[in-house]
Amino acid sequence: MTAQTILMKFTMKTKINYWLLLFTIVFQSFIGLAQENKSNGWTQFRGAERAGVSTESLSHIDFSKSQPELVWKKTIGSGFSEITVTEGIVYTMISEIVDSITGYEYLAAFSEETGEEIWRTKVDSIYFDEDGWGDGARATPCIDEKYIFTLSGHGKLTANLKKDGSFVWQHDFKKEFGSTTPRWGFASSPLIVNGNVIMEVGGTEERAFMAFNKVNGDIVWSSSVGPSSHDSPLLANIEGQEQIVFANGRTLYSLLPEGDTLWTYSMPFGGATAIPVFIPPNKLFLSAVRNPGFFIVKVENNKATELLKGVSMKNDFSSCIYHDGYIYGFHVAAVRCISAETGEVKWTKRGYGKGSLILVDDKLIILSDKGKLVVADASPDAYKENCSIQAIDGKSWTAPSFYNGKVYVRNLTEMASYKLID
Amino acid sequence: MRLLKYQIFIFINFFCISSFINAQNVDDIIAKHIKAHGGTEAWENIQSMKVSGKFTAFSIEEDFVAIKTNKGEYYSELYLGKNPVKEAFNGKTGWTIDPWMEILYPRDLKKTEINVFYQKAELFTPFYKYKERGFEVQLLDNEEVDGMEMIVLKLKRNNGMEEKWYLDPDTYLEYKCESNWVDFTYGVPAETFFDDFRTINKVVLPYYIERTFWQRNRVLQIENIEFNVDIDETIFEMPRSEQMQWLSFMEGNWDVKVDVMTRRGTWYTFDSTSSKIYWDATNMLCEKISYDLTMVQNLIINYTYNATADKFVMTRFNGLASEMQLFDGEYTDSSYIFQNINVDYGDTSLAKTYSQINIYNIDKDSFDVEISVSQDKGETWLPRQRLYYIRKQR
Repeated sequence: MTAQTILMKFTMKTKINYWLLLFTIVFQSFIGLAQENKSNGWTQFRGAERAGVSTESLSHIDFSKSQPELVWKKTIGSGFSEITVTEGIVYTMISEIVDSITGYEYLAAFSEETGEEIWRTKVDSIYFDEDGWGDGARATPCIDEKYIFTLSGHGKLTANLKKDGSFVWQHDFKKEFGSTTPRWGFASSPLIVNGNVIMEVGGTEERAFMAFNKVNGDIVWSSSVGPSSHDSPLLANIEGQEQIVFANGRTLYSLLPEGDTLWTYSMPFGGATAIPVFIPPNKLFLSAVRNPGFFIVKVENNKATELLKGVSMKNDFSSCIYHDGYIYGFHVAAVRCISAETGEVKWTKRGYGKGSLILVDDKLIILSDKGKLVVADASPDAYKENCSIQAIDGKSWTAPSFYNGKVYVRNLTEMASYKLID
Repeated sequence: MRLLKYQIFIFINFFCISSFINAQNVDDIIAKHIKAHGGTEAWENIQSMKVSGKFTAFSIEEDFVAIKTNKGEYYSELYLGKNPVKEAFNGKTGWTIDPWMEILYPRDLKKTEINVFYQKAELFTPFYKYKERGFEVQLLDNEEVDGMEMIVLKLKRNNGMEEKWYLDPDTYLEYKCESNWVDFTYGVPAETFFDDFRTINKVVLPYYIERTFWQRNRVLQIENIEFNVDIDETIFEMPRSEQMQWLSFMEGNWDVKVDVMTRRGTWYTFDSTSSKIYWDATNMLCEKISYDLTMVQNLIINYTYNATADKFVMTRFNGLASEMQLFDGEYTDSSYIFQNINVDYGDTSLAKTYSQINIYNIDKDSFDVEISVSQDKGETWLPRQRLYYIRKQR
C-alpha cells in the first residue's frame, strides 16, 4: 500500500465520517425537534402522555441542600382543573361566584414568569357542587398548537383560540347529546388525537364517546353506550396500534382513533375516577376505591386478559404513575408503592391525606390534600423524602403539574409556581 | 388402652400449658402495653380528659374538642368538612347532631354507632382493666404491617364486637387497630393508625390518630390534653330541639280555672281543676287534665315539633268519645296557635267544625289557653272555652 493510497483511504474515511457525522447531527436534530414538540409543556391532563410523568432531569439538584423556591402565588376562583403550561403561558380553569345561585367558569391564561393574568374567557355558568366539595370546572384544558379545549362542570365542550381566548366553537353535551350530569359534575378531560378532540360524552343513542373536528367542532364519529363519568380517556400505543382507552361504567373500552371498537373488557369494579395507567409495552393498570382495588390487563392480539388484581392499591380520585416496574399512588389516603408484577406493597407513607402525585425524572412530586409539596424518591426500596414545603393552604385535590423546572400547584382558592433549584 | 390414656394425658397437658403460656403472654404483653402508656398508677388518678386539636375530614382541617371520662362518657364538638357536628355518649346510649344526615336536631345513636362510641370513649386503651370490663383478649401470630413485625391482639368487647390491635414490639404502644366503624350510620371496617406519642402528666398518649374507612380519611392532630377537668354532666344528655325549649314554660303542675262562653256572649267560670305537664320524651311535652263541661273532659295532650314541616304539632285525646285530634301550630305574636284546618282525613261526610287552640299571655308562672271553633274553615273563630293556668306553689 502506497502512501498515496493510504492518504486517499484516509481522506475517503474522513469524508464518510464527515457525512456520517453531519447526518447524525441533522437526524438527531430532527429527533430532538420531535421530542421537543412532544414535550413542549404540560399541555393536558396528567401531562404529555397523560401518565403524570415529566422526563425533565432533576439529577443536577441536590435536594438535601435545596427547597422548592416560590416563583409566584396568587388567589384564584374555585375549580379542580390541573394547570397546563406551554410557551411561557399557564392555562387553567377558574370561576367567579356572583351570588349564591350565579357565577361563571372561565378559561384563563397567566404569565409563566409572574403569574399575572393575561386574559380570561367565559365558557359556561358555574357548576355549584351540592355536596360542598368545591365549585367550578373539574376537567383540565387540553392545549393544541392553535386551540385550547375545555369541558365545563355542566358539560359544555368549548374550543378557544390559544393566543387570546377567542371563542371558536362549543357543544352542550346535555342539550345536544342527552348526557346526564354525573354527581359532582362533568370531569372528563379532553384528548386530542389526529386532529380530533376525543371526549367521553355519556350521551344517548350510542354517543358514550365522541370525536369532534378540532377546527370547527363537527362531529367526526360517535360510539358505544355508557354514562358520563369522572374518568378521562387515555391514548396508548399497543402492539403498534394507537388506541383510545376509556374506563366507563364497568367496561374498559379500546377504540381506534377512527372510532371503531378494538376490544372491550369487563372490569371487576365500576366508577373508576383515576385514569388508566399504561405499562409499556402492552399492559394497563386500573384502580378504584371499590374492591378489589386494582387490576392489570395484558393486551395481545386486540384482546385484554387479566394478569393481576388485588387490594393493595385503591385510588379514589387521584391517579397513579408507573415507573420501572412499580406503581406509585394514593392508596385511599396513603402514598404507596406496589409491584406492578405481583401487587406486593413495597412501602406506605401516611400523613398526606387524599393528595396526589406525579413523577419527574426519578422523583415523586407529591401534593398533600392540605397543600404540602413534597419531593421523594421514586424507589421501591423505601419511602425517602428529599424536601417539603407548605406550598398552598387549604383543601388541595388537584394534582401538580411540572414544566421547565417548575412545579405548578393549585386548589380552590390559590395557585402557585415553585422552582426546583440547586 | 394405656397408650390412649397416655395420649389424652399428653393432649390435656399440652392444651393447658398452651393456654397458660398464651394467657401469660397476653397478660405480660398487656402489662407492658399499660406500662408504656404510663402505668396503672398514673391512670388510676385520671378521671377525665379534655382533648383539643385539629380534626381533618374531607381534607378540611377544623377545630376539635372532646371530653372523656373514666365512666365511659364521651362528648365532642367537631366539624365534618364544613358541617359542625356534636356527639355525646353516656356510656350506654348517646345522641348526635349531624347535618350530614340532613337532620339538624339531636337524634339518638344507632346500635352500630354506639359500638363506635365505646371505642371513642376509651381514655387510652381498651386493654386497661379489660378483665374487669368483661373483655376477652387473644394473642395471635405476629404480622407484618408497613414492613414492621407487630404483636397482634384480638379483643372481644363485652358487646361481642371484635377488634384487632397491632402493637409495636419495641415500645408495646399501639400502631394500628382494625375495628368496626360507621359511615353515614352504616357499619364499615376501619383501620386506625397511632403516631406521635407524647408524655404528658406522666402518661403517654398518641397525638396523631389517622383513621381510614371505605374511602374516608379522618385525621386527629391533638394539640392539648387536660386531665381531671370539671364536667357539666348535662352535656351527655340529649338536648331538646330549640323549638321545644321554647315550650318548656309549660312544664309543671298547674291550677286551672275553666271558663266557657255563655249564649249571651259572656264568660262564665264552669270548673276549677289541676293539670300536670311533663316531658314524656326528649322532644315531647305531655299534659293530663280533666274538667267538667256538659260532660267530663278527660284529656291527654301531647306537644312536639316537626322539623321537616317546621310546625309545632299537638295531639289531643279526649276520653269522652275516645277521640283523637291532630293540630299543627306555629308561634306568632307572642302566642302559640294550633288549629286543625290543614288536617284532612279525606272523609267528606264529616261535619266540618274546626278547632283553634291559642296559648297566650305567657309568663313565668302563668299562661292562658283559648279554644275556639270555626265552621267556615277559619274565616271566623268563635271562642268557646278559656283555661287560665297558674303554677302551683310548692
